[in-house]
Amino acid sequence: MDFRQAALEHLDALYGFAMVLTRNRTEAEDLVQETYLRAMRAFGQLMPDSNLKSWLFTIMRNIWRNQLRHIRSRPHFVDIDSNKMDELSDFLLDQHHDPYSLLVRKVERETVQAAIEQLPEHFREIVVLRDLENFSYQQIATILDCPAGTVMSRLARARAQLTLLLSQSLITAQ
Amino acid sequence: MSICQQAPNQFQLYLDNELDSQEKLQLEKHLQNCISCKQIFDQQQYWLTQIRHSKPLYQASANLQSSIEKILDDCPKPYQASAKLHKNIDKLLSNSNLLTFPSKSSIQRLVVAVAATVIILLTSYTYLSSYNSSTSFDEHSEFALMAVNTHIRHQKGKLPLEIKSDSAQDVSTWFLGKVSFSLTLPNYQESSGQEKLYQLEGARLVGFKNDYAAYISYQMQQRPISLIVTANTVALPDGGEKIISKGLTFHCEVIDGLKVISWTDHGLTYALISDLAERGQQSCVVCHTGTKDKDFIDSLKIKS
Repeated sequence: MDFRQAALEHLDALYGFAMVLTRNRTEAEDLVQETYLRAMRAFGQLMPDSNLKSWLFTIMRNIWRNQLRHIRSRPHFVDIDSNKMDELSDFLLDQHHDPYSLLVRKVERETVQAAIEQLPEHFREIVVLRDLENFSYQQIATILDCPAGTVMSRLARARAQLTLLLSQSLITAQ
Repeated sequence: MSICQQAPNQFQLYLDNELDSQEKLQLEKHLQNCISCKQIFDQQQYWLTQIRHSKPLYQASANLQSSIEKILDDCPKPYQASAKLHKNIDKLLSNSNLLTFPSKSSIQRLVVAVAATVIILLTSYTYLSSYNSSTSFDEHSEFALMAVNTHIRHQKGKLPLEIKSDSAQDVSTWFLGKVSFSLTLPNYQESSGQEKLYQLEGARLVGFKNDYAAYISYQMQQRPISLIVTANTVALPDGGEKIISKGLTFHCEVIDGLKVISWTDHGLTYALISDLAERGQQSCVVCHTGTKDKDFIDSLKIKS
């Protein structure tokens, strides 16, 4: 598998991480493009045995951290309406699955999405890296440039807060 | 601390597959017998499942996908050697008298390169003891400085070995998958039938320029010797006094009173660090008289 094909496979994952970091669709897309540009330039430094996905995520996070130093205001929330329109059209066009389970899944995803967005940034990123992108503690430590012990404790606190938010959403829904 | 007090700390590690098999079994056994722990575990598992099943949270738009494809289309293709170049290199390697092994694989070429390191290790105190601090050298390379710093930190106990073994094979196996290059330490002393002059102590990884370098610790006559290895795409030797021998350029320098020899060979860059100060030329000759390496060793001696 060549670099192009291998790198494209991680586009959705990188976009998801960018959305969690920036909470802004336009900024997320810019961040993804900048990540791929940097990756392309640094491709020669990538060792054959390296984990490409982990490498790409590390590049993205480093770009984001540098950008944060120059951003005056905090990132604002996602443009909900345009996202919802895209999802609704995908949902309506999908003829191959049971509509009820699709709807349930959609609501569950939105609930988790909304809860994650309420977390502080250092909790958001670690939950995404572990629970959605399945990186190991050691890989997360490399991406976040922190000890594996910090990953463990931060993840525990992030999950505790996320669980609280999700259970509150459940109560609100009822 | 009772098992019930300890168990919740392990739930997260269990659900993240970060426990070893024995720890997993112990926890599973406890959960079979403890209802309250099982309830807490089930709750954690439930919420984790909800979170993980929500993937993917976001999907890249078609516009973004085509923008990225365009970026990647501009990615330069990797260089490929022509068939003629392949043939020439193959011919060169089959005629090379450096290769004494029957196979010409790249790993065995690296073994030869590391064997050369061992020979240098045995004779380095002869050559290095001639250095005086008044010799003026070019500025020290970043790699040499890192190598010295690593040697000092290990001596001070701040960088413990991650594998302790006097087996070159065990240490070589340990490095597999941990570094981005192939590294095989030779059993030079055993294969040559000589008495052991140096002792392999073990190894560890050291971070250098967003990558891992290999650190190998030796002892010779109770004096510490360190060997650092990295890919030559990460670092190249520079500075110091240059000595050319057997087609290799050795950079020799003194940093903080420590003798450093660095060189590059077959895609790897090496740095050898020691604090050996006394002259050992005579004992060197005793050990190596009559061996096939005598000419090579002689080429490193100080010319009077």
